[in-house]
Amino acid sequence: MSSNKLLTLAEAAQRYAGDGIQYASGAGLPVGADAIAFGRELVRQGRRNLHALFHCNTQQLNLLAAAGTVDKAEVGFSGLEGFGFANGLRRVVEEGKLALEDYSNLAMALRFLGGALNWPFVPATTCIGSDIQHRSAFAPEQYPAIGKIPEISDPFSGRTLGAYSPLKPDLAVIHVTLADPEGNAIMIGSEWSRFELSRAAKRVVLVADHIVDTDCMRQYPNLVRIPGLIVDAVVWWPFSAWPAASPGVHDVDEAHMKLMNEWLATEEGTFRYIDRYIFSYQTVDAYLNLIGQDVISRLEDSPTRFLLDPYRQWILDRAKVEQLQAENHILKRAA
Amino acid sequence: MSTATATRADTTERKGPLRYSRQEMMAIAAGREIKDGELAIFGVGLSLLAGFFAQEHHAPNVRSMTEGGIYGATPIGGLPWGIECNRLSANATSFTGGLDALGFLVASGRVDVGLIGAAQVDKFGNVNTTGIWDRSKGNGLGETYTPPKTRLTGAGGANDIACGAKRTVIMVTHEPKRFVDEVDYISSPGYLEGGDARERYGFVGGGPAAIVTTLGILRPHPETKEFWLDAYYPFSSVDEVRANTGWDLKVFRHARMIAPPTVAEVEALRRVDVTGMLRREK
Repeated sequence: MSSNKLLTLAEAAQRYAGDGIQYASGAGLPVGADAIAFGRELVRQGRRNLHALFHCNTQQLNLLAAAGTVDKAEVGFSGLEGFGFANGLRRVVEEGKLALEDYSNLAMALRFLGGALNWPFVPATTCIGSDIQHRSAFAPEQYPAIGKIPEISDPFSGRTLGAYSPLKPDLAVIHVTLADPEGNAIMIGSEWSRFELSRAAKRVVLVADHIVDTDCMRQYPNLVRIPGLIVDAVVWWPFSAWPAASPGVHDVDEAHMKLMNEWLATEEGTFRYIDRYIFSYQTVDAYLNLIGQDVISRLEDSPTRFLLDPYRQWILDRAKVEQLQAENHILKRAA
Repeated sequence: MSTATATRADTTERKGPLRYSRQEMMAIAAGREIKDGELAIFGVGLSLLAGFFAQEHHAPNVRSMTEGGIYGATPIGGLPWGIECNRLSANATSFTGGLDALGFLVASGRVDVGLIGAAQVDKFGNVNTTGIWDRSKGNGLGETYTPPKTRLTGAGGANDIACGAKRTVIMVTHEPKRFVDEVDYISSPGYLEGGDARERYGFVGGGPAAIVTTLGILRPHPETKEFWLDAYYPFSSVDEVRANTGWDLKVFRHARMIAPPTVAEVEALRRVDVTGMLRREK
């Protein structure tokens, strides 16, 4: 193994996620895979003043917002799709505790692309002419906002366009289905903007459902959309997307999606949620017990299960993963 | 919700009136806007049902996509919880991402039709899904930006679809609070201030072709781009539509009652809406 980047969840959060950073989540959409377990860890470790960049809101941002971990956020979408409005996020936005800057879903992907390419700006052919351009929660005194999506003119046609500001987050924590110990990764399901984000961020931490042998990546190199050479650390945490889904691995936990959103709607409910679903576990085993073995079996019985079949032969067993985590002296010494 | 009753013209298979809900009528009317073979993008919720109803009923060759980059999929087990839900991901033929779906396919101008929803819509088809502001406090509209009284979901990909799709169809429950003279926030542009206002921005997409509601169908006047009543349903009327619209809704001279759903349409819709989302009491 040329470069073993496996870290525990707690170590990765300690090492890479400081207070006040620009923190980006690499996820599917609200119902799809997101490393929500990483957000739970940030709450446990008491992070403050994060500037969150979430292409779409997920239960992670809903939790971070409700818990007071984030005071600025930029999103393309702030709901939970079929699960309704994100009650924790909406509560702190309505109370004026969190400044939520709105973009569109294409805009967020393009802003990550612009960051990845080191472009000064990205031409905007959408969001212009709407209040996404005219109103800014980050510059509330300005109307219409002139610095959010400034008007520019196409140097060739003279047409009026907008300019999106590029994004280069301090840290991207990206959910992937499969990673090898070096950080080569395969995502199953919508990639959403994880390809662009992995190139835009200054640091990249992967949170994987399964750790696989590098031979898996050599078998499917075309599918390795995040290569290890841009990855800083790899975390193994099963069901890290729970209660959202991870295509190929497990379905969405409908009951917990609803419970979580209901509890986050109030401050008391948020305290109760943190107590019951964050402070109640430390280890992977305790986390899985919290979800419950019957629930896990039901969620794993997913109609997408077959998508994982080609890769199963390379999945490393838990003992091997923990051995690799323990052997990661290089990272530990540097820390 | 009252269940509407309509008599079916074709009585060869079944006797008696066909029962369907207002939400089902809206989904069927929106689905009728989609033609076979089109490249179509569906949003979450009702518009997914309307879109896949069209595929099931009269547009088997529709090329369906979601903004998550899930292509070639048909939902299984009921309405997907999201546009990337495993109920869709279980039989997709391609997974890409947002830049591909909303950029390469929508912003490029390739997509024929997009279905989007709305919390508020105004007479020029501008859509608000971002928030409701308390106007009595002078908040939100112009000048200083203040937090909304009620935060909604934001634009998502609907802004990009509204700018880029050749035409859009807006689906919305017809209530006065939703059909307003001026929306609190333009999340997704319709015809902006009307007329040729869209041309200022050179949008590649043509704008909303219809607002399909639980009471009828509104279409833009060819010049002013103000939405006028084009059709109502067997269970609604011009008066009812006007009473539920927050602006002085004008009525096209050709406005008429559109055909009630056929048995085949209702059956196709219910094959897609397995869990009966559209039949629930609200």
